[in-house]
Amino acid sequence: MRARTHGATVGGVMRGGWVSYTLVGLVTLVSVFPLYYTIVMASHTNAEMASGTPPVLPTLSIVDNVKKALDLAPLNQGLINSLIVSGAITVGTVTLCTLAGFAFAKLRFRGSAVLLAICVATMMVPLQMGVIPLYMMMARLGLAGHLQAVILPSLCTAFGVFFMRQYIAGAVPDELIEAAYMDGAGPFRVLVSIVVPAARPAMAVLAMLTFLTAWNDFFWPIIVLSTQNPTVQVSFQSLATGYAPQQSIIMAGTLYGTVPVLVVFALLGRQIVGGIMQGAVKG
Amino acid sequence: MATVTFKGAQRWYAGADSPAVVGLDLEIGDGEFMVLVGPSGCGKSTTLRMLAGLEPVDAGSVFIGDRDVSLVPPKDRDIAMVFQNYALYPHMTVEDNMGFALRMAGMKRPERRRRVAEAARMLGLTDYLDRKPRALSGGQRQRVAMGRAIVRDPAVFCMDEPLSNLDAKMRVQTRADIAALQAELGTTTVYVTHDQVEAMTMGHRVAVMNEGALQQVDVPLGLYDRPANLFVAGFIGSPRMNLLPATVRDGRATLGGVEVPVPAAADGGGRAAVVLGVRPESFRLVPGDDAAALSLEVALVEELGADSFVHGHVRIGDERQLLIVRSGDRGSVRPGEVVRVRPDPARTHVFDAQTGARLD
Repeated sequence: MRARTHGATVGGVMRGGWVSYTLVGLVTLVSVFPLYYTIVMASHTNAEMASGTPPVLPTLSIVDNVKKALDLAPLNQGLINSLIVSGAITVGTVTLCTLAGFAFAKLRFRGSAVLLAICVATMMVPLQMGVIPLYMMMARLGLAGHLQAVILPSLCTAFGVFFMRQYIAGAVPDELIEAAYMDGAGPFRVLVSIVVPAARPAMAVLAMLTFLTAWNDFFWPIIVLSTQNPTVQVSFQSLATGYAPQQSIIMAGTLYGTVPVLVVFALLGRQIVGGIMQGAVKG
Repeated sequence: MATVTFKGAQRWYAGADSPAVVGLDLEIGDGEFMVLVGPSGCGKSTTLRMLAGLEPVDAGSVFIGDRDVSLVPPKDRDIAMVFQNYALYPHMTVEDNMGFALRMAGMKRPERRRRVAEAARMLGLTDYLDRKPRALSGGQRQRVAMGRAIVRDPAVFCMDEPLSNLDAKMRVQTRADIAALQAELGTTTVYVTHDQVEAMTMGHRVAVMNEGALQQVDVPLGLYDRPANLFVAGFIGSPRMNLLPATVRDGRATLGGVEVPVPAAADGGGRAAVVLGVRPESFRLVPGDDAAALSLEVALVEELGADSFVHGHVRIGDERQLLIVRSGDRGSVRPGEVVRVRPDPARTHVFDAQTGARLD
């Protein structure tokens, strides 16, 4: 039997041939390798890693290294803080951006276009420019060193507003909203009962992107938070102290801090792909 | 139930050169089925949306009963609307779609279910109440949209081309269903369509619109028999009325050598140029030696079974004019032949060539 080298249509679905599978397999390997090698590094000392033939398999000493990392840095507190911060930012961003996106996409009000332009324009302002005034503002509010100082500035993003506006404008026909108005709904009921069910895939994508961004954020949290009350990314810096920091401990700590993100991705993965595909089809 | 009155209602879209609806004056009786008809962009949908509250009224006012609703939000107008694409909520079942307005009105669930079940029974939707709209055919979706409107028992129904997404057979069936339903409910209905056959067959009265202005309001046969102007004459009727240039002298219009008596009004004011309107069925095929007839060069014969429509050209002055004539005899005329046709003077319409207004 001749091997299939090209895609074939089976039941209306395009199936890849072995060339496609090989390529996808290679890309997957390349993508997974850094994570795998983090695990390998987390279970070997600096000397073992620097030897002539670097190890390629992990060992059980990774468990000890994770324990050492937990002793060195407040990783658990960092994890809890990061969960609070990322969760709050995600809920806030998805809620506020959906509200604003709906307003820009479907409500007629004076100055709508100008406000949207201003909102989008703020994406061009680099974060670094706002750091000093933002820090001063947080300090005056008495929030420096507190998690609220990380949460508040990120509760709504221009990208999120624009993203939700574009999705809602395309995914929810005007007639649907007009029908709801005729049925006696007000704008908020229209949002809750009509727009949100239609915008769920986009909200899932925005939630995932926001959570990852908030989780991985290092620059602003390290400025505004102390090492006594860190997020997980800030807490990693406590692992790299000393003259010759142990890479295995740093990697073990990093791994410990990465697991929650992987869980989020595993939970929302299907929604994310669905949302992205829908966006692609609608152009 | 209520009357609907437009008093000088106007809508001007931002950036447009002219209003979408120009000072509309129209009265719709209690329980009447009024059809707004006209070509794309004539302002009929805008008129309906002004009534529904989905478009602001820039000037003039709209009344439902004795109440000026020009500034009243849609939800407080007691109007139900059927949209062209049905606008069913895709994530809700048929039952939830039909009951949404009742839920918004705060109606208790048992009463809501009873009302929805009753409407579903009228529309033959009882077996589909648990389905989502995507699991329904076009005709079923259309009925759900109707059901969503009737379940509320509103003062006025607004329907915006509700049949245009159905196939031809389903459209004819649904047309009759809607007309029967409206007659049964007796609810004042404003129905928008671009299809003059729908307008003629469904409406108690028909309002013809063009370029934002109301051209004529009348019962369907009134529009057909006495069109107020050239636009209505050309729009109502299928195939359309033949509109032919003619000159008037001494109470007679001369049409390519054939004399047709015209009303006194057409001969007044030193008017010489008029347009004669003759429907295809108002021409008669006559023997070749009839001098008072036009020579028609037959280009095409449409055999529809009961009727044949003969398309061809006649020479009027220096110009060849397209003419459509109905022939009762199947197969009596063939393409390429020259036949003689004579207009029936009693059923010939005369219009002012300049203003397009009817003269009689």
